[in-house]
Amino acid sequence: MDQALVAKSVFLAVPLLLLGLKLVPLRWALRIPVALVGAFVLALIISNLLPSGKLSYLVSFSIMAGIYAILTLGLNTQWGFTGHLNFGIAGFFAVGAFTSALFTTAAPTGVMAQYTQQAFGFEAPFLIGILAAAIVSGFVAFLIAIPVLRLRMDFLAIATIGIAEIIRLIFQNERWLANGPQPLRGIPRPLHCLFDEPSCAPGPLATLLQPLEPRDYIYFYLCVVTVLLALTYLLVETATRSPWGRVLRAVRDEEQSAAMNGKNITSFRIQSFVVGAAVMGLGGGLYAHYAVTIDYSHFNPLFATFIVWVMLMLGGSGNNKGAILGAFIIWGVWSGTAFLTGMIEPTLAQISQDLPARSAYLRWLLVAILLAGIVLYRPQGLIAEEKVVSRFLAKTGIGRGRRKQAREEEAETAS
Amino acid sequence: MNATQDPTAQAPELTPRLDERIRAALQTRTAMAVILAGLLALIVVLAIVQDVSAGRILSLTVWGIMLGGVIGLGSIGLTLCYGVLKFPNFSHGAMVTLGAYVTFAVMQALPQGEVLRPFSFGWEFLVALIVSMPVVGVVAIGIDRVMYRRLRQRNASLVLFAMASLAMAFFLRSIIYLVWGSDFRFYYEGRANPALDLPFGLRVQADQFFILGLAIVLVIAVYLLLERTKMGKAMRATANNPELAQVRGINTERVVAWTWLMGGALAAAGGAMYGLASQLRPEMGFWLLLPMFAAVIMGSIGNPRGALAGALIIGVAQQVSTAFLNPAYGPGVAFILMVLTLLIRPQGLFGGTE
Amino acid sequence: MPLLKVENITCGYGDMEVLRELSVEVAEGEIVSIIGPNGAGKSTLMKAVFGLLHPWQGAIHFEGRDISRLEPYQIVETGMCYVPQVANVFTQLTVEENLEMGAFVLKDGDIGARKEKIFELFPRLKERRRQAAGKMSGGERQMVAMGSALMLDPKLILLDEPSAGLAPKMVDHIFERIVRINETGLAIMMVEQNATQSLRMAHRGYVLANGENRFEGTGQALLNDPDVGRLYLGG
Ligand SMILES: Nc1ncnc2c1ncn2[C@@H]1O[C@H](COP(=O)(O)OP(=O)(O)OP(=O)(O)O)[C@@H](O)[C@H]1O
Ligand SMILES: [Mg+2]
Repeated sequence: MDQALVAKSVFLAVPLLLLGLKLVPLRWALRIPVALVGAFVLALIISNLLPSGKLSYLVSFSIMAGIYAILTLGLNTQWGFTGHLNFGIAGFFAVGAFTSALFTTAAPTGVMAQYTQQAFGFEAPFLIGILAAAIVSGFVAFLIAIPVLRLRMDFLAIATIGIAEIIRLIFQNERWLANGPQPLRGIPRPLHCLFDEPSCAPGPLATLLQPLEPRDYIYFYLCVVTVLLALTYLLVETATRSPWGRVLRAVRDEEQSAAMNGKNITSFRIQSFVVGAAVMGLGGGLYAHYAVTIDYSHFNPLFATFIVWVMLMLGGSGNNKGAILGAFIIWGVWSGTAFLTGMIEPTLAQISQDLPARSAYLRWLLVAILLAGIVLYRPQGLIAEEKVVSRFLAKTGIGRGRRKQAREEEAETAS
Repeated sequence: MNATQDPTAQAPELTPRLDERIRAALQTRTAMAVILAGLLALIVVLAIVQDVSAGRILSLTVWGIMLGGVIGLGSIGLTLCYGVLKFPNFSHGAMVTLGAYVTFAVMQALPQGEVLRPFSFGWEFLVALIVSMPVVGVVAIGIDRVMYRRLRQRNASLVLFAMASLAMAFFLRSIIYLVWGSDFRFYYEGRANPALDLPFGLRVQADQFFILGLAIVLVIAVYLLLERTKMGKAMRATANNPELAQVRGINTERVVAWTWLMGGALAAAGGAMYGLASQLRPEMGFWLLLPMFAAVIMGSIGNPRGALAGALIIGVAQQVSTAFLNPAYGPGVAFILMVLTLLIRPQGLFGGTE
Repeated sequence: MPLLKVENITCGYGDMEVLRELSVEVAEGEIVSIIGPNGAGKSTLMKAVFGLLHPWQGAIHFEGRDISRLEPYQIVETGMCYVPQVANVFTQLTVEENLEMGAFVLKDGDIGARKEKIFELFPRLKERRRQAAGKMSGGERQMVAMGSALMLDPKLILLDEPSAGLAPKMVDHIFERIVRINETGLAIMMVEQNATQSLRMAHRGYVLANGENRFEGTGQALLNDPDVGRLYLGG
């Protein structure tokens, strides 16, 4: 068998293994080996069946979908579990991306400094970079949270749209910060040397990597993204099932009763907003290292926000599995529409010669209609929130309880 | 949805009375007006410190008032919809853009006539403006029928309305892109638009006076409609208490349709004015969204006069601040004014304390 | 034939049942008082009659016409008006505008004359005609609310706790006005917490509990009923 394919399969097996660990319905003692074997076999089958172009497409698709899934998990922490209407996701995404980029690149010196300006460059390792991305993004959220989170939900939405716009303006106009309107280039990819010159890897790994080329790096990055996605999922899932998460839901559904428990609501609201923003910052960092070159235009304040909301709405707010599923589906739809518009291009050309060049906006149109459809026909998403009754049914659920109680009390008085 | 949590409320015994009194004093309308005036003064002082001449500051102020007119046109419509329908319409920016482009399309279909000196436009622009206003209004009603009305019937939460309006913003925006492309457009490509020479070295274009004049006329018209006509009073009643409005025999669906018609028409006027003052781009309405919301909140939601007042304040603040700040940060200035309002007096300058 | 006939309606919010097979009647020119504990469904009954909720089962006839599927703005035109328990004035509108909204469905206008009639009934409103209703006292608000409902000269008026939260003196005043309104021939169906007082002025009464009709009879009979007294009139 082709050695390159085996090597690729090893990388592909990682995300499949994680998926298997989550999905295989067996005891852990059995689940681990079954998932391990299954993942590797499946990876081999996939990499042998698909031509290498399609395989690479699938990998880069999954990387972007994975990054969006992280953003969606971040939003779920804010909206699904606490009810913050954050319409400024693009802002936190951008802060994370630029932070990680600045931390991991070197500050240009000499002649280069004339072309690229940046506030600092620490040449820090990748993990430090994305950690910083999460922390800085969370910190920005904290600064914003203090004045804004006390507000009504609709004001929060307006304010966060404004914040995303201002963050974009800053990255667009402040040359000294991150090269202003010019792109910030050369963001290092973690462990890229493994693919440039496999000899920098220790023994057995080197032989595995030997047949791969630098452009196959994405297979490795897919593992990075999926592992971080899995960790984020575990973190968010554990957090929301913990007492902390229960308080958040209480705050969301019945603020008054939580207040009577003496919990400090404002503090909880701020915490979840900050945690969600940190997760979004992590997503931004991952994006920066994947894209290598970033500039402000990658963080269109409406688009990034919009599509992440579509993902969460589809998946079902308040549900982490749904959030990830929604991200993959919507990213699939988004990518699929690219083929679709490519296919109907000749037809478009017949309607008007300008249309083919504008077909990208047809994709927007489709996603906009999709969101409208979700809002109208399936506001609870594909998977409704677990345990707690979905947000939109909660009222009647609570009401029924109260009613029953009232009848019982009445019966007592009457007797 | 009672999201406003006062942290001090949980520990009343720890809060000194004086603190509460200061807080209450800060939240009065007078205090808010003083703070806003102080902020504007601060901006002017900052400009003077940066050695900007008095003449230029005056020019910037006048330009700011004109910009305020454009923002104002958009925000009157926004505030009406917000007041009656109770949700922030994020697609209002797209309706502004649509108005600008529909005006453009109608002008293309009309023969180009004499220039109405001293303005830079001819009668065809005025005709196109008058046509585009009801067109955008009807588009708004159509969107309401398809989206928002169904949500209303279902008593959907505010969030779904907000999401729906976000979807509609994208929907309209992509249609604008598809039909007109992303290039700049001009109502009058390359036509000279000389400024009038006014006393004090002021240089203002006649068009800018037209914009401000139109804004004031439309605000007066809206005001008269709301105060004097039956439908206007019904609109205020519905905004104030929708359930009671139904009980009193007001067909609230009709009120809602009228609201959208007016909101859309005013947005279209704002878009056409904005396009006249600069150029047409598919994002133009989105750039106005933040200043418009700021004006609406500052002037109290549902209050058209308040919205115009807020828009003028924001317009002036944005323009004068360009004396020392990168003009790109205009929306940032609007944002800061908005957050300030929300912190001091969330019900706005003209809101009651109910 | 009774003016209003509510027959065996079952009704509620969402899928929560509040009223169960409830029947109520109001004859022409009658005052009917409905009492019952908090949460019994008294306001819900009013809302159902007025089309704000549609009954799941049963029928509501007004002057022999089935109105159970009509919307409130259609019911107003049949000659019935409703004063809700809470939020029953437009706080941001002036007193005068509130009254005008009461006559919204009127196409042509002797609105001025009707306003004058209301001002005769509640002279206090005339003094305050330009004041925003939100800035008025509770009693004055109740007058505005009742005044707006009377603008259309209805045959039946539904009052949901007209005396709630008012000072005793104001309660007496409002009740006195209600009797006076009734003397002009208007039928009144009212919900009251002030049970004794309202049964005393009512021709007939109903006691609601848990969405069901527990007792019914003339006002005097209910006042004298020991069970009603013990359970709902506070001993
Ligand atoms: N809008 C609503 N949505 C859901 N449940 C409601 C709604 N309004 C009332 N309820 C419920 O219906 C039941 C009956 O309420 P209703 O207001 O009719 O009682 P009531 O007899 O008028 O009480 P009160 O004397 O307190 O006015 C209560 O259990 C209440 O919680
Ligand atoms: Mg009640």
